[in-house]
Amino acid sequence: MVTTEVVTPATVIELSEALAGATPRTRLLAGGTDLVRAIRRPGDEPDVLIDLSQLAELAYVRREGETLHIGATTTFTELETHPLVREHAPCLAQAASQVGSVQIRNVATLAGNVANASPCADGATALMALAADVTTVDGAGHSSTRPLRDVLVGSGATTLESDEAIVEFSFPALGTAHRSAFVKIGSRTAVTVARLSVALVVRFDPAAGVLADVRIGLGAVGQTAFRDPELEKVLEGQPADEESARLFAEGCVAAVRRSIPGRYSLPYKQHAAVGLAYDAWNALALCPPCEPDWG
Amino acid sequence: MNLVLKVNGTVYEVDIPPTARLLDVLRDTLGLTGTKEGCGEGECGACTVIVGGKAVNSCVMLAVQARGKEVVTVEGLAADGELDDLQQKFVEHGAVQCGFCTPGMLMSAKALLMRNPLPSEQDIRVALAGNLCRCTGYSAIVSAVRAASGQETAAIEVPGESGTLPAAESSPDVEAKVGAVMTTADLPGYQAGQ
Repeated sequence: MVTTEVVTPATVIELSEALAGATPRTRLLAGGTDLVRAIRRPGDEPDVLIDLSQLAELAYVRREGETLHIGATTTFTELETHPLVREHAPCLAQAASQVGSVQIRNVATLAGNVANASPCADGATALMALAADVTTVDGAGHSSTRPLRDVLVGSGATTLESDEAIVEFSFPALGTAHRSAFVKIGSRTAVTVARLSVALVVRFDPAAGVLADVRIGLGAVGQTAFRDPELEKVLEGQPADEESARLFAEGCVAAVRRSIPGRYSLPYKQHAAVGLAYDAWNALALCPPCEPDWG
Repeated sequence: MNLVLKVNGTVYEVDIPPTARLLDVLRDTLGLTGTKEGCGEGECGACTVIVGGKAVNSCVMLAVQARGKEVVTVEGLAADGELDDLQQKFVEHGAVQCGFCTPGMLMSAKALLMRNPLPSEQDIRVALAGNLCRCTGYSAIVSAVRAASGQETAAIEVPGESGTLPAAESSPDVEAKVGAVMTTADLPGYQAGQ
């Protein structure tokens, strides 16, 4: 039984100081909804637990120019309700509203969702479609920024060093020409872990009548949330009509097949992908609602 | 480690293991056993308490995370020995059967009413989605919360108390539920404890 030391930094400078002595057994405690269970497993006790609950300066959402900045310890309840997130990153607000229960959303944080690196993390899936960058600080006091796709490298695996903590997510704020949506399917309708999730961002150019800047995040269908460039190409330059919805659904099925060939869940997930693709498409409200031909 | 916690308005200084869960400190250190442990992994909501004005699962929160915040447990609802109005409405509406989920239900509902005094039925169902009940079903619980917010719905009779049962044939509430999902609490002749 390891005796854990708890360190509670009140500022980012103190966080950096706490990280200076970090080992691979050191853990960062944000909301705790995943970590508290994990560190109670015998043998998994951390040597040092860096408790972020008093780090108020990392709970924020702000817009600077065309970029939205979200502090690491912003909770899902805050993301779900924040006017800037709802306006400039609707898919993230929608994803936040579908994470766990009220009790979970009240404490679980965006950084915790990413750092825990579950393949079905709803926040990570939305951030992928938003082309988010991750800013970290380390034990030497250095700050650096890299794309989220370079942080999430596998199920439960990130490129975050032992002495590195996420402090912020940033991404281009979606403007009025953009539409976005997040949809997921799980084993029940609410308080559920995603079996498949789709985050969709598009820009609709009414003059040309076509879709551009298509970005699609897929969750729970690979080792980590990811973007699929082939799938994005399917919608790029297409009109906003029922035929595009059909192509998108077809593309989603192909993306699922590419990602989990031979997996036992493939038959279910490629079927689910059709319904989810239409849900995501209809949520954009670019054309009258349409339904798949299940024939 | 030493930790100062404010629970139900009282300040406690406790000596606890650094990784003690809030649930364990409430139950074992402070003796506030109203808060229950169900699943122990943040699924069932039996351990729900209010921290800093928000409903949380105390089984997936360490006590250190509640430092500097106001904690309210089910004991805090009846601090002066009188039932809180919300608790009273649970009793009147037969929203309690085995009672294990009840403290968590109450605290989720209380947190909702604190920030939204006039919730819609959908608001109530979302607020209670993280609280599982395996006995009564949820209709009586939702009715109790609606009643506590002043949106009265027909109460059922509680044994030993005077009250009028809504007649099935004259109650649109009951008629509307026929053919839909009915629970024991919807039955006009139902008495708690049966």
